[in-house]
Amino acid sequence: MNFWFSVLRQTGRNLRQTWPTQFMTCLTVSLSVLIFSFFYLVYLNMLTAGDKVSDDLRLVVFLEDEPGPEMQEQLRNKITQFDPVQEIKFISKKEAYDRFAEQLGDNREVLTDMPTDFLPPSIEVIPFKNFRSLKQIKLFADYLATIPGSQKVQYGQKWVERFYSFTQLLSIIVLLSGLLLFLTASFMVASTIRLTIFGRQEELELLKLVGATNNYIRTPFLLEGLMQGFLGSFLGLTALYTLFQWFIRHFSGAGFLDIIPFSFFSPGIIATILLASIALCTIGSYTSMQKFLRV
Amino acid sequence: MTTTRPAPSRTAMIEIIKVSKEYPPHMTALSDISVSVASGEMFFVIGKSGAGKTTLLKLLCNMERPSNGLIEVAGMNINQITGNKLAKLRQRVGMAYQDFRLLADRTVAENIAISMEVSYKKPQIISERVKSLLAQLQLEDKHDDLTGNLSRGEQQRVALARAVANSPTLILVDEPTGNLDAISTAQVMDLLSKCTLSGATVVIVTHDDAIYRHTHHRVMKLDQGRIAALSQGNHI
Ligand SMILES: Nc1ncnc2c1ncn2[C@@H]1O[C@H](COP(=O)(O)OP(=O)(O)OP(=O)(O)O)[C@@H](O)[C@H]1O
Ligand SMILES: [Mg+2]
Repeated sequence: MNFWFSVLRQTGRNLRQTWPTQFMTCLTVSLSVLIFSFFYLVYLNMLTAGDKVSDDLRLVVFLEDEPGPEMQEQLRNKITQFDPVQEIKFISKKEAYDRFAEQLGDNREVLTDMPTDFLPPSIEVIPFKNFRSLKQIKLFADYLATIPGSQKVQYGQKWVERFYSFTQLLSIIVLLSGLLLFLTASFMVASTIRLTIFGRQEELELLKLVGATNNYIRTPFLLEGLMQGFLGSFLGLTALYTLFQWFIRHFSGAGFLDIIPFSFFSPGIIATILLASIALCTIGSYTSMQKFLRV
Repeated sequence: MTTTRPAPSRTAMIEIIKVSKEYPPHMTALSDISVSVASGEMFFVIGKSGAGKTTLLKLLCNMERPSNGLIEVAGMNINQITGNKLAKLRQRVGMAYQDFRLLADRTVAENIAISMEVSYKKPQIISERVKSLLAQLQLEDKHDDLTGNLSRGEQQRVALARAVANSPTLILVDEPTGNLDAISTAQVMDLLSKCTLSGATVVIVTHDDAIYRHTHHRVMKLDQGRIAALSQGNHI
């Protein structure tokens, strides 16, 4: 009880004396939380978008001839040798014709003079809806080109590849900004606390001489680090949330962005970011304090 | 652990056995000091400037370590204890430093309170104790002044008040009356006598022969780091 009373008063004193530095540190922490969580949020939303887009993702293998039932079984085996897939559909010439006619709708009379078997038969391969199959799609397509009777393999090639390399770039940026966050949170806070310690050396020495325990000396500084971590990440996330809301309000209903269901972090991720920066900042101040107490 | 030593008549608060202190590179501040101070005793240490008096006090509160020999305070070898044990011991040892070590940007009351805060005394008890000490030293009107603005003599008394505030069992004072007039000197000695009466051991380092000339307590004279004389006193 009296311990916490003393510790809180000491913390108040520290803040009153050094608030400009403390404020700057807090801002730096929140800025790096903002940068990190911004990229992370974009990354997460790209992943969901990737999932959503891969709903429509299918590989179409055009064949020379319609395969018989036995041949179909063989082809099936061949395809699943590469990777298990969600579905394999064989489309006969007739089916292809019907589909096409349906797509034409009211304009179907252009087909009246055409034979019903002018379209080639094909196999539709629907991969599992996960990010891994998106990553492998090019390899898969190359593989499908080698199965017997295959003439041509189609998928949204350019698009998928671009999407994939973009997400990969993004994951690197997320890692880098995570590193930035780690460095600022631990080192900035550590050096701020070091500055505070330096400015109060006389008092801390005296405290040791009159018999203050290490915990008595240390706890106010740990509390400061903890507050830096909490306030910094709270501010950073609040700023990101505001940005996010603004973005949604201004860009939703604007064409292509409607495809992607944008969403903010889940409570679990928010808690993790908060806890991680609190932990980093507290560890930063702890290490500074240990250096001082050992002297 | 216990060595075979003739047991002192009263339990010893301080045991100094063959202690030397050398400051690097070649300054021998104390050499071969052996003395024992009983608990509840008032003990004077005198000697020329540079004789090693402050060094002796610093050894007693573990601000410096002896180069040789053994120092026991309250039965503990103070150079072997560390961490929380050392902190607990220091809470029971009050020292008034020759250079005061007051925090210039804090008020008189805050400076005195520090020694009680570290042992988690209740705020109300602290403020009462501060007021009563200031009254005894006639500094009531300085309660809220910053110590940086006080005169040397006032600072000296604040440093003393901080040393005795937590009712320590061992009080070490370095030149407590150096900047004081006769009346203030009498008040300071009065306060220290009260502390011995309530059981504390008090070691006073001084130049001021007015306070030790007619004393019935023991007086130890240091000269160039050695014990030059140790009067027996006549209080027992
Ligand atoms: N940290 C130090 N490093 C080197 N030499 C020191 C140190 N502290 C004290 N000394 C030397 O040790 C000797 C004893 O110093 P000390 O401070 O104990 O003297 P003193 O008896 O208290 O003197 P005074 O009456 O002037 O306060 C002095 O010669 C001093 O120069
Ligand atoms: Mg001295």
